[in-house]
Amino acid sequence: MNIFINGKALALGDKVNITVALTHHFTQPQQSTFAVALNGNFVGKADYDTVMLKQGDSLDVLQPIQGG
Amino acid sequence: MSLNIYGQTLDNRLLIGSALYPSPQVMKQAIVASGSKVVTLSLKRQNPNEQSGQQIWQYLQDIITTTRGYLLPNTAGCKTAKEAITLAHMSRELFQTDWLKLEVIGDDYNLQPDPVELLIATEHLLKEGFKILPYCTDDLVVCQRLYDLGCEVVMPWASPIGTGKGLMNPYNLETIRARLPDATLILDAGIGKPSDACLAMEMGYDGVLLNSAVALADNPVLMAKAFAQALHAGEQGYLAGVMQERQTAHPSTPTLDTPFWHQT
Repeated sequence: MNIFINGKALALGDKVNITVALTHHFTQPQQSTFAVALNGNFVGKADYDTVMLKQGDSLDVLQPIQGG
Repeated sequence: MSLNIYGQTLDNRLLIGSALYPSPQVMKQAIVASGSKVVTLSLKRQNPNEQSGQQIWQYLQDIITTTRGYLLPNTAGCKTAKEAITLAHMSRELFQTDWLKLEVIGDDYNLQPDPVELLIATEHLLKEGFKILPYCTDDLVVCQRLYDLGCEVVMPWASPIGTGKGLMNPYNLETIRARLPDATLILDAGIGKPSDACLAMEMGYDGVLLNSAVALADNPVLMAKAFAQALHAGEQGYLAGVMQERQTAHPSTPTLDTPFWHQT
């Protein structure tokens, strides 16, 4: 199935949860400071293993940035 | 000098942004020099090929540790209540704080807050335990509605974000202060000069939130110090009680026994 992470298409197998999808996104394991939304809705870290993704889902992975 | 944010007393009335500085090092020096105990930050999409987000996060944590201060996440970039609510939850998980500078922008030209979406998001998030610091225009009724919903802090703009135009509508801002005497009022956005911050404090505002005015100064660290002094001067002026403005001139020098040239 195909999903999107931060707008970028990603081809994954079936029965993939958020934890697995994130391993395809991160290039380095120490990038741990982030939060996730699925199709515009917040998903807490405690639910990454149980929320299963489906075709066309869109994940937003956000990190801290300077702000005013 | 103390500022009350949802029961948290801070010994400084300046809230400062972390964006637009020439470098992270200057950002830290300027924020520390300002004396501020509250630093704003935001969230953006994570790029897996860069480490900048992690580095900025470490810098901000270091600043907060140094100042014994607090982080204030914002919802910059959100245009609907739903977007702001989602970002609020993400911020709370990431930054471990209920404080939120709630921004919902209604117009891209002047980045003017959308009062309708702002009120919707505020009501929703307050019920979820967030401590909302709403960024809004200087519309009295919008400020009243936000306060009535339960916002202990209300943050009307001085002028559009990043313009440095200062206080566009002093009358509006004075009226908000007069009509919401118990609210913590923080003037947010559009501040350009230390005298702008001083004027807000002379009006009886509880604090000022700014970013560009310091970050884009030729010398951000020196400007941060100037703002610290301006806030202090303005607060002292307010506490001292400013004299009533008069329509006609009154001589300062006593007129009794004036010298010979006025004698008939």
